[in-house]
Amino acid sequence: MAKKKPRSQETASAPPPGEGERPHGWRAYRRELTFLVLFIVILGGSFTLLSLTWVNDTLVEPFTAGVARASGIALNLIGQDITMHGTILRNETFAVNVRNGCNGVETMLIFLAAVLAFPASWKARGIGLALGMVAIQGVNLVRVVALFLTGAYFPKLFDASHTVIWQSVVILFGVLLWIFWAHRFAAPPVPAPLDAPPSTPVEG
Amino acid sequence: MRGWRFPLLVVLWLIPATLVWIGATDFLNVFLRINAEHLLHLGESPNVSRLYPAPQDDNYIFIERADFSPARARVASVRVTDVHFPLVLLLALFLAVPGISWKERLKALGWALLVTVLFDIVLLYFWVQFYYAEQYGPLGRNVFGLGKHLLDLPFKLGLPLALFVVFHFRRLVPTGADRPDPP
Repeated sequence: MAKKKPRSQETASAPPPGEGERPHGWRAYRRELTFLVLFIVILGGSFTLLSLTWVNDTLVEPFTAGVARASGIALNLIGQDITMHGTILRNETFAVNVRNGCNGVETMLIFLAAVLAFPASWKARGIGLALGMVAIQGVNLVRVVALFLTGAYFPKLFDASHTVIWQSVVILFGVLLWIFWAHRFAAPPVPAPLDAPPSTPVEG
Repeated sequence: MRGWRFPLLVVLWLIPATLVWIGATDFLNVFLRINAEHLLHLGESPNVSRLYPAPQDDNYIFIERADFSPARARVASVRVTDVHFPLVLLLALFLAVPGISWKERLKALGWALLVTVLFDIVLLYFWVQFYYAEQYGPLGRNVFGLGKHLLDLPFKLGLPLALFVVFHFRRLVPTGADRPDPP
């Protein structure tokens, strides 16, 4: 008698309903490869664009200055008595210069590349991008404020916090946000075959 | 993978993933340093580049050139942990995937780790070439400058997500039977 496969293995290996027999070779992974190529092209292209001097000067630097201003305001709200000079935040114990890399743009572009590379409707993409960018900047604001406080009160921890911990936290947030978006809002509907059982019992 | 379950699992898996990464850091530092040095030597004759751990801190490596004067021989230093810390994110993402067997989970993780370690070796190579590029012409400076810029920020940080999507694409795109019924 054939042993019934566990549900987890069924969902992992069975072809999706309505798609019939899966193609062989690299064509079996066409959707994954399409995502990967689009993700690399969009991510690489957008970062190359940002590395151009005039794009950096006219877009990225003013944006970074805005991030620094917002961070300064937030720090003043919690009583840090901050003075701002361009992208430099300073109080009597500590000073940071908010530069490229601290403005959340990397995470925003990774999120953008993943959203645009994933098969979804343009409406879902638009909603995901608009809400995702705001959310990522919110977390980045927390990051800059936390890093300033770390530098002011725990200076020995600043370096590791700056390059490893908070970078990981912001990226992780962007990744989880994208996974949530992809699964909840973006996944395109695949019609179930007519003879497939309904997902919930039909009453009446 | 629906709803908040998977994100919560990822956050929980971050703790063991971080402990594993801390435990493997010494090995990774040495492994990446030796292999990046081998990669550098492929383009050198004679082999003039030497990467060695900083005496005060094993997490840093010094880049040294044998063909430079002793005063200029030590070109720069790089913190190797900055290269491989995204492994924490990769481990947490791949270990947290719900609803699959451990065999399948570890198989996907193994392939993803292999790709990531190879990427890290190439990234360290570009870090070194980035410092050497002062000696190169405009083309070399632009190639290694842009290459290091792209590999060190967007691709290093985006690699765990890209690998996760490639290995678990079908779990992110539910089939018709999995989708919730319309109200």
